Amino acid sequence: MRGAWRVFELSLGEMLWSRRTVFLAIVVGCPVLIAAVIRIVDSLGVVPLRINGQRMDFTAIFGVMIWVLFLRFIVPVLGVFYGTSLIADEVEDKTITYLFTRPIRRSAVLIGKYIAYMVCTTLVVLPGVMLVYFLIVPFNQVAASFSMLITDLALLAVGLAAYGGLFALVGTVMKRPLVVGLVFAFGWEQFALIMPGYVRRFTLMYYIQSLVPHAMPAEGVASLLQAFFTETPSTLTCLVSLAGAIAVSLALAGRVVERREYVLDQ
Amino acid sequence: MTRRTRLFVLIAAGILVAGLGTGLLASYMNIQNLTLIGGNGPEEFAYVPSDARVLGFANVRDVMDSDVRKKLMELNPGADGADRFQERTGINLTTDVDTVTAAVIPGGEQGPPLVLAKGRFDMVRLEGFARDEGGVVEDYKGKRLITHDNFALGFVEPGMVAIGTPAVVRRAIDTKAAGNGNVTGNDELMRLVHQVDNGTVWGVARFDALTGVNIPSEVKDRLPAISWFSIKGIVGSGIDGLISAEARDDQAAQDLRQVVQGFVALGRMQAGQNHPEIAEFINSLQITGQGRTVSLGFSLPSALIDALGALRAGQRPQAQPTPEAPATQEPPRPAPPAL
Repeated sequence: MRGAWRVFELSLGEMLWSRRTVFLAIVVGCPVLIAAVIRIVDSLGVVPLRINGQRMDFTAIFGVMIWVLFLRFIVPVLGVFYGTSLIADEVEDKTITYLFTRPIRRSAVLIGKYIAYMVCTTLVVLPGVMLVYFLIVPFNQVAASFSMLITDLALLAVGLAAYGGLFALVGTVMKRPLVVGLVFAFGWEQFALIMPGYVRRFTLMYYIQSLVPHAMPAEGVASLLQAFFTETPSTLTCLVSLAGAIAVSLALAGRVVERREYVLDQ
Repeated sequence: MTRRTRLFVLIAAGILVAGLGTGLLASYMNIQNLTLIGGNGPEEFAYVPSDARVLGFANVRDVMDSDVRKKLMELNPGADGADRFQERTGINLTTDVDTVTAAVIPGGEQGPPLVLAKGRFDMVRLEGFARDEGGVVEDYKGKRLITHDNFALGFVEPGMVAIGTPAVVRRAIDTKAAGNGNVTGNDELMRLVHQVDNGTVWGVARFDALTGVNIPSEVKDRLPAISWFSIKGIVGSGIDGLISAEARDDQAAQDLRQVVQGFVALGRMQAGQNHPEIAEFINSLQITGQGRTVSLGFSLPSALIDALGALRAGQRPQAQPTPEAPATQEPPRPAPPAL
C-alpha cells in the first residue's frame, strides 16, 4: 500500500501538469462557460433555452447538461484518455523500467496511478459540475434539487471510476489502447444501448444512466430508440454491476501488469 | 507532492466543500422560504389556511394586457359580456382586478372556493348591490362581511376582497388575525408553489383533491400514483405552459413519463400532415422531469393562435349559414351531344 501511495504522489503531479490536463480543462470548462452564458442571457430577460418553442426549466437544463455533456461525453472521454495512458504512457516513454525496478509490487504501480487518475479527474470534474449547478439553478430552487446534485456528483465519480478501471485494463493489454477505447466508448456503447435484448448489459453506460435522477432528454432518434427499449435495472443491480466491473477490471489489469514482460522498443 | 499540486487540490476541494455546504444549508433551512430571498408568495397567502389542498393564482392584470387576450377578444368579440356585471357592481373586470388567488380548503368543498381578489373595488356600490339582492351586511372581527345564502364577500383589506362560503371567508379572516397557521407554513405546498410562481397563472393541488370523492374506486385504483399536481402558464404574445405531477416514488414517475410519452406520440400520429397547426402544438410538447417529478411543457405561439383563429373563422360560415344568403345552384349540366 505504501508503494501505491508513493506512485500516487508522483503520478498526481505528473497528471495534473501534463498536456492532457489542458484538454481536461477545456472539456470541463466548456459546460461552465455554457452555464455562465445561460445565466447572463437569462439575466438579460431572454429565454436561454427553448425546445420546440417551450422554455426549459433551469433544473431541466442542468439535468440535460449532466446527461448529454458529462455522462455521455466527458466521463467516457476522460476515462479513455487517462485510463488507457496509465501504463501505456510509461511503456511508450520507456520509463516503465524505472517504476518496475523499485522495491514495490508491479500492481501497486497500477493502483497508485489509478488513484491518481481518480483524484485528478474528480477534482476537476466535480467542482466543474458544482459551478455549473450554481450558475444554472436559481438559488430558491437549490433546496428542492440539491439531492439530485449529490446523486449526480456520486454518479460522475462512479462513472469515472468504472471507465477508468476498464480502460486501465485496456491500456495494459492492448497495443493501441486509445483507438480501442474510443471505439468502445463511442462505438460499441452507443450501438449496444439502442439494441433490444441483453446486449446493452455489456456496456457501462447502461448501468450508469439507470442511476441518473433526471429524465432522459427525448431528442433525437437514438434517444427515442433508447426510450423505446428502456428496461431499467434496480439501483442495487447497477451499483453491484459497476463495483464488479471496477474490481474485475483492476484485478485483471494488475494481474496482466504483474505477469507481462514489457519489451521496450529500442 | 509539489506545492502547486497541493494548492490545486486545496482549491478544487474548497469549491466542492463550499458548494456542498451551501446546498446543505439551503436544504436544511429550506432557504427558498426566507423572505430575504424573493419573498414567500403574495400577501393574500396570509388569508389562506395551511391545510389548503388546492392553491391557484392568476395575474389578471397581465392576462388582460396580453396579446393573447386581445387576439381572443378579436376572435370572439361578443364573448366579453361583462358590461352588465360592471353596471351592477362597478367592477370593470378588464381594468379593476389585478390578481386573483383561489384556494380549496377542507370543509369548503361544497361551496365556492376561497377567492381573494386584489384590485380597485367600490365598497359602497358593492354593498348596495348585495342589499338589493337580499344580502346581509355584518361586521366580523372588524371586517365588513356581506352574506347571502351560501355565499359571502368580505372586505378584508383596502383593495382586497375575499369571496367564498361564509364559513370559508370567516376562516380566512381568522387565519390572518391569528398571524400564523397560514399556507406559507405548509412546506410541502410552498415547495411546489415556488416551482411555479413565476407564471402569469399557476395552480398547485394535492392530486386526491383534484380527483375528488365522486370517482369510482375502480377508476381511482387505476390512476397513476400521483401525490401532487401543478400547472403554470406564462401568458404574453403566446402561452407557454408547464404541467407537472409529482409521483409517490421514482418507479411511478417513470411509469407516468412513459404513459405521457405514449400519449404524445399518439397525438403526433393523429395530427400527422393533415393538421399542421395541431402538429406544431404537439411538437412543442416537451416531457421533462427528475426523480419523482414528471413535467409536460407546451407552447402556444402567437402564430399558432392566429392560425387557430383563422381556422375557426373559416369554419364558422359553414356551421351557421346565413338565411339571407342566396342558395347556390348548380349550373345545369350540358346535354350530351346527339350521336
